[in-house]
Amino acid sequence: MGTGAPQPGDLVVALAQIATCPGQLRHNLAKHLAAVEDARAAGAHLVVFPELSLSGYLLAHGVLEHAMRLDDPRLDPLLKVSRDVALLVGLPLREPHGGISNAAVLLEGGEVRGVHRKLYLPTYGMFDEGRYFVPGPRLAPIACALGRFGVLICEDAWHLSSAVILAHAGVDALLVVAGGPTELDGGGEPAGSRRWHWIMGATAVTTVSPVFFANRCGWEEGVLFGGRSWAVDGRGTSLAEPAPALDEALVVAPLSLAAAARTRTLIPIPIAERFDLWRAALGDPDA
Amino acid sequence: MRELPSVDTALLSETLRRFLAEELRASGLAGYVVGLSGGVDSAVAAAVAAAAVGAENVLALALPGPTSSAESLRDARAVAAALGLKVEVVDLAGPAEALAGTLGARGDRVRFGNVMARLRMVALFDRARTVPALVLGTSNKSEILLGYSTLFGDAAASVQPLGDVWKTHVFALGRLLGVPEAVVGKPPTADLWPGQTDAGELGFDYPAVDPVLYWHHEGGLGREALLAAGFPQALVDAALAAYRRNRFKWRPTVVARVSASCINVDRILPRNPER
Repeated sequence: MGTGAPQPGDLVVALAQIATCPGQLRHNLAKHLAAVEDARAAGAHLVVFPELSLSGYLLAHGVLEHAMRLDDPRLDPLLKVSRDVALLVGLPLREPHGGISNAAVLLEGGEVRGVHRKLYLPTYGMFDEGRYFVPGPRLAPIACALGRFGVLICEDAWHLSSAVILAHAGVDALLVVAGGPTELDGGGEPAGSRRWHWIMGATAVTTVSPVFFANRCGWEEGVLFGGRSWAVDGRGTSLAEPAPALDEALVVAPLSLAAAARTRTLIPIPIAERFDLWRAALGDPDA
Repeated sequence: MRELPSVDTALLSETLRRFLAEELRASGLAGYVVGLSGGVDSAVAAAVAAAAVGAENVLALALPGPTSSAESLRDARAVAAALGLKVEVVDLAGPAEALAGTLGARGDRVRFGNVMARLRMVALFDRARTVPALVLGTSNKSEILLGYSTLFGDAAASVQPLGDVWKTHVFALGRLLGVPEAVVGKPPTADLWPGQTDAGELGFDYPAVDPVLYWHHEGGLGREALLAAGFPQALVDAALAAYRRNRFKWRPTVVARVSASCINVDRILPRNPER
């Protein structure tokens, strides 16, 4: 739960840390609906689900069977509840002209408000996403009635430039959804969860943006995921206790749009980003 | 000298417990069947399974053969009692003697040992079908890397909770999970002939070889770097030889791909589709 009670005018964001099963979509959908019910009881305006939350992560060629279009009837139960609370859900998105994206879809008011397609598809080590998905073509904030959000999917957030671009474009908060596999390295929490908190904290304070991190937990196909979903504001202050690593949990955190905007105005780091240096570096290999 | 990194044993145990719970849920079956050898690997696997799905949903089989020691059966019963598991004794002595006789394998202790290991697999999978249950694997990372197992014998299982856990850490799990000290503390043995021990056959014991395997397999150190790090040459050479010689066991078979839809090559699919 949040460290402070929500103030009038604040939003409440719920991070639904669930354990999904690849290809068992009815099982996964039931978890979504249960989490939405809990989030509504907690007064949430927005529920953020992990990466590929509807389908599970390690689908491999199962994406061919389970990829869906935005008008897929399997989304109907979620569109229905989105009339009461906005949802960010993960799914394999069948693109009109071929290819499947690893997508996060914002549902609100019974409609699809926006889609972020994963930009960086890890294809190394245990990852093979480039084999099954096509990368997203662009990065831009998603606007809805609640505000303007920057959405990043897992590996997107490991490229720090992604959050910089979104913050420069202007967002009320960053929503980072992940299916982060992890190993155990002798520490008291999974190694991946520890790394994620370093990245989320650094992303929040360097972009001066609240970050809402929804990670999955549990096991798929013998792969462990590290949980520890968390919310942190643009000054690095926790907005909620992180979820445990191994258990399903709902993290409920406040988001004050006014406070976030004031912080961004006082500390305009992302606005000052020197994109001219990026351009110079790209245009001149010796720059 | 470089060491095997430590592990948070309690966290490891908790994660493995959830793994076994989820694999059973996803499979839709009713429980686990495990062969208790009286050794630490099967005791730890059974303990994690009992914690995951309830002792009443874990069926233990003791599977003695003609050369099994009485101590092994005694220890298997002690493990079952400590964990609250039902244990059935399936005496494989007669079938093993008969089959080995038919095959002409009675005079060769390695062939006879392999027959025994594969008969245990037959018993476990047969009993699993009646529950219906998943067969709980008991292989650990050290023995898999060394190939110290019988292909389609003790290496055959539905799930392998300890397959990425070093033997050194299996001992630690055993102590955490309340496995009887007599089981955790005794020399590891496949018990396929009288007096057999892993260390006697391999030429080294697990606490010695685990750091070598770790720094080679995960750390990327080759033979010369391992020697420079201070590991004894005989140990390094024996470990690396087994690591290379038995690698075929890591992938028990290979399919000849003659189509564009070869299973597990062109079509990799989740194990447990929605029913």
